[in-house]
Amino acid sequence: MPVAIALHGVSAGYKGPVLRDIDLEVGNEVVAIVGRSGSGKTTLLRLIAGLLEPTSGTVDLLGVAPAIARRRKRIGFVPQDARLHPWRTVRENVTLPLEVNRAARTNGHVSPDEWVARMGLSDAIDAYPHQLSGGMRQRVALARSLVIDPEVLLMDEPLASLDELTRDDLRGELLRLWEGQARSVVYVTHDIEEAVLLADRVVVIGGRPAAVRGEVRISLARPRTKAMRREPLFYNLVEAVRKHLE
Amino acid sequence: MTARRTFVDLAVALVAIAGIALVLEVWTRVMSVPSYLLPAPSAVGARMAADAGLLAREGGVTLSEAAAGFVIGTSVAFVLATVMASSRPLERTLFPLAILVKLTPIVAIAPLFTLWFGFGTAPKVAIAALITFFPMLVNSFVGLRSADLQEVAFLETLGASGREIFRHLRVPSALPYLFSGARISLNLALIGAVIGEWTGADRGLGRVIFVANANLDLTILFGAVLVLAAIGIAANAFVGAAERRLLHWHPIAVAT
Repeated sequence: MPVAIALHGVSAGYKGPVLRDIDLEVGNEVVAIVGRSGSGKTTLLRLIAGLLEPTSGTVDLLGVAPAIARRRKRIGFVPQDARLHPWRTVRENVTLPLEVNRAARTNGHVSPDEWVARMGLSDAIDAYPHQLSGGMRQRVALARSLVIDPEVLLMDEPLASLDELTRDDLRGELLRLWEGQARSVVYVTHDIEEAVLLADRVVVIGGRPAAVRGEVRISLARPRTKAMRREPLFYNLVEAVRKHLE
Repeated sequence: MTARRTFVDLAVALVAIAGIALVLEVWTRVMSVPSYLLPAPSAVGARMAADAGLLAREGGVTLSEAAAGFVIGTSVAFVLATVMASSRPLERTLFPLAILVKLTPIVAIAPLFTLWFGFGTAPKVAIAALITFFPMLVNSFVGLRSADLQEVAFLETLGASGREIFRHLRVPSALPYLFSGARISLNLALIGAVIGEWTGADRGLGRVIFVANANLDLTILFGAVLVLAAIGIAANAFVGAAERRLLHWHPIAVAT
């Protein structure tokens, strides 16, 4: 499996150290990063996106430095509580990534309108963000991150600010998305069950500064369904992840 | 809905003004108040009708001075705010200078401007520009810094340039702040122009007020003040309309 994201011996922080000696390789798979609140999950994502420089170690994205991968427009990013651009309609928000950094080639074969349709938002395509529910806004955030057809998708607790029913709908949406096309996805969450349901591997980080505590390979078959959450294997995997967290 | 509410608001304001005028009218007549202390509203109205040409001409002069000062002051403020918002060291250097400008009493330096720039429009425009500068600087600066950090991060991951982030995110994020700055600055610009005319001018409403004061000619004095108020209200309405049009996406614009 080709490695899309490679972190070797990476330490990073702001005023004090936040991450220590992180080794992580991600191929064409979904890797969930699980840790307690404030454990440095978002910092890890910022490192991968090149928004933060490591104090030591190396970060490689698609064989190059993150800053170069960014300039080549290969990274999709979904924040936790996407405010979107409130002065733009849904369609205009999804088109935005195509309007900036035009020098970079985008692979996108799927039009913005088609992404809006795939997210079930066709009826709201001319609506403004303040007219949408939190779940709809996150769908828009997902659509606009995918419109450039990124090789690497970084998601920072994209469902954390939503109510449980909406989260469940969107988990189904994400599962369908994973089945559709192979991508390298780093999915940050503090929800263990969500991580097990969505990911191929769950990496647990913890401690201060945070290091990799352990890793659990998720052997649930694909395509995954939400019904799998009732299987004994699912419980065992959740327990395995929990053990690393404690 | 909004049109109807605007109509109701306007009607209430007009009734209130008419009420005050009526009370003043009755009072000045019953108590026989001399017109050099407080003229009856009817006398002010009659004088305004008689001197409508003068008031319109001089009002136009004051309005154009204020408008020119507003445009210059707010433009310089926005450019400077852009520089300050993009660099912390420049922010630390420029902000004390801006506060110095703010703390300079306009009334004290207005005669100096007349000395420097003469009795024409230039000193009035300069004073109006100076007085509008600071509120616009602070509002633009805070506005440009108010962009959502997650959205900045999103654009950065797309490889957007600083200029693209400025255009697509920072400026639209600053718009609500720019409008509140404009509302404050617009009224200040009018005051600035009048102060400038007061300290030495041959034209403008400030000049009319100054001369009327010297002659105890209170009907034209009140007339000039009313015209000034009307210009201020019209200017505010203009900004309000532009705000509703450009900020239709903003929660505050939606709520009002």
